[in-house]
Amino acid sequence: MDSTFISNLLLATVRMAVPLIFIATAELYSERAGMVNIGLEGLAAIGSLVGFLMCFITGSAWIGILCGALAGILVNMIYAFATVTLCANHTVYGMAINIFAPALASFINRVYFGAGSQLNQIKLMDTVNIPGLKDIPIIGPLLFNQTPMVYLAFVLVIFTSIFFNRTKAGLNYKSVGEHPKAAATLGIPVIRIKYLSCVICGALAGIGGAYLTTCYSNTFTEGNIAGRGFIGLAAVIFGRWNAVGVMLACLFFGFCDALQIRLQVMSIGIPYQFFQMIPYVATIIVLSILGGKKSGPAAKGQPYRSEER
Amino acid sequence: MKIKNLSGLIVPLLSILLAFLIGAIIMAALGANPAEAFQYLIKGSFGTINALGNTFNKATPLIFTGLCACFAYKCGVFNLGGEGQFLMGAMTACVVALLLGEKGIEGPFVCLLCLVLGTIAGGIWGFIPGILKITRGQNEMIISIMLNYVATLFMGVIYTNWMRDASVPQTLQIPQADRLARIFPKLRFTWGFAIAVAVGILMWIFLFKTAPGFKIRAVGYNMTASRFNGFPVMKLMFLSFIVSGAIAGLGGAAELMGTQFRLINGFGAGYGFDGVAMALIGQLNPIATIFVAIFFAALRVGSTSMQAATGVPTSVSDIIQALVIIFTVAGLALVKLPEFEAFRLRLVSGRRKA
Repeated sequence: MDSTFISNLLLATVRMAVPLIFIATAELYSERAGMVNIGLEGLAAIGSLVGFLMCFITGSAWIGILCGALAGILVNMIYAFATVTLCANHTVYGMAINIFAPALASFINRVYFGAGSQLNQIKLMDTVNIPGLKDIPIIGPLLFNQTPMVYLAFVLVIFTSIFFNRTKAGLNYKSVGEHPKAAATLGIPVIRIKYLSCVICGALAGIGGAYLTTCYSNTFTEGNIAGRGFIGLAAVIFGRWNAVGVMLACLFFGFCDALQIRLQVMSIGIPYQFFQMIPYVATIIVLSILGGKKSGPAAKGQPYRSEER
Repeated sequence: MKIKNLSGLIVPLLSILLAFLIGAIIMAALGANPAEAFQYLIKGSFGTINALGNTFNKATPLIFTGLCACFAYKCGVFNLGGEGQFLMGAMTACVVALLLGEKGIEGPFVCLLCLVLGTIAGGIWGFIPGILKITRGQNEMIISIMLNYVATLFMGVIYTNWMRDASVPQTLQIPQADRLARIFPKLRFTWGFAIAVAVGILMWIFLFKTAPGFKIRAVGYNMTASRFNGFPVMKLMFLSFIVSGAIAGLGGAAELMGTQFRLINGFGAGYGFDGVAMALIGQLNPIATIFVAIFFAALRVGSTSMQAATGVPTSVSDIIQALVIIFTVAGLALVKLPEFEAFRLRLVSGRRKA
């Protein structure tokens, strides 16, 4: 338990938390407009594959991230159309996305690379350090020697927090999730905001997935999201629908993930799978301790029909 | 009322047609002849009596996980943990059979014991999200998904560590005498298929012909009304989670005792979500779920011979299945819209005038 162990652990915590922050913030934007989207796992899967593929073709991780976001938006538009326009059940349709998107991702992967695709690797996104600040012990490398995506994740959290709590647009946005009919009588374009929320959600979840292939591991494997979509959902509940709270929850889950990797390396003799269980078990325990106080946007998961006013 | 029931059949059929159309376009884009590919697909799944046997064999676990999802949804709870419950059943069956086998105890009795213990193990794995749902008000979807990963990893511990077959990361095969017998010796499907169909029929009778079944459906249909009527809503949800898990557990045990015989990497992977898809396309009707499962099993079995003959990758069948669910769920929502009802009425009255 020396200082390099701790600083490595913290470094890994931040890296593991970043995809969760993108995915959980995606859900936050969605639920704030009343859209409960449990299809995050699928959105991240397609973002992950498209991000990897485009990075493989173009050699640029940035293009990969961008295309991952676009893929997330495209797939989430199916969800948006079905749930907003056709009033399909959010949970059921989110599940449909969870089945559809990973199947699409693995199909594209198999068709493009053929069998044995595990060998294809890409160059990860470079880290960008901030001179001077990165030499501060422990927190220097932790905060100021990371890929730009890490900085972006934290900028996103700050922006989201200000947007929802300090701006009129943010309050209007939230009103759609709390009481869409009241919002509509005030002239807020409810349907448009619901669609917008799905665009943001798709993009962020896609970026979260693309981060995994372009910034974390340099290859795509089926099932690489490994439940992060659902842990992201848990993080939104844990963080009480508040951007900073959600970030802290993601850091906690990221810490569990980082810890299990370190423990795996250190402990010989104990089957490594027990350590891999840590993030999942932690999610269950945290949610159970937290209890199910009814909270979050009041009208989440409910269909909205403008004619019924 | 009749039209409503009819749309429940027409929407999935149209969705399947549309999905196959897109599948054909994909095949053509990959340079294959769709007509030829579909021919091999059908021949490989229903064409011969052997192929039919393979299809039923493949359908067995899908029916179990489909019924598992179906039962919980009927009571308004979302059990996404079918895969974990399936695996717990399979693991229990495998470990019990191997341990008894070491002591020289084997035979049909062990097979029965394994099936029962597998069912109980699945029920316990369904108990956890159930109890957290009713006591802590927790989101049962997240909990049950997390338990899937725990179960998969635990299975990894068994086949890579505790009961590893020498250098290969898998367990030994369970003794010959323990295995579920085939119904027809020449065909690959076992009594597991018969059990699956029986469970489906029993579930249909229970849900639609008995008083407790009615209560469960009532909770799923309108929880508030059920509570006002004095139904024990929480208890019913909890019980339905356990039963749902038990069905998946039985499925896992049957799959292990009848088809796989050992735990190995990838055992049961994806069956949980597949089951959800079957239940949703079957619109939570147990009998319909059985047919949907057989249909998609046929698609998978047939896609193997399609790949061998035409080079179209088997994952086309996954895409088609995924498209069917996307279209079906959206289509069922569409026909419920008042606008659609108005459109349909206009269509009917227009025809009457003419």
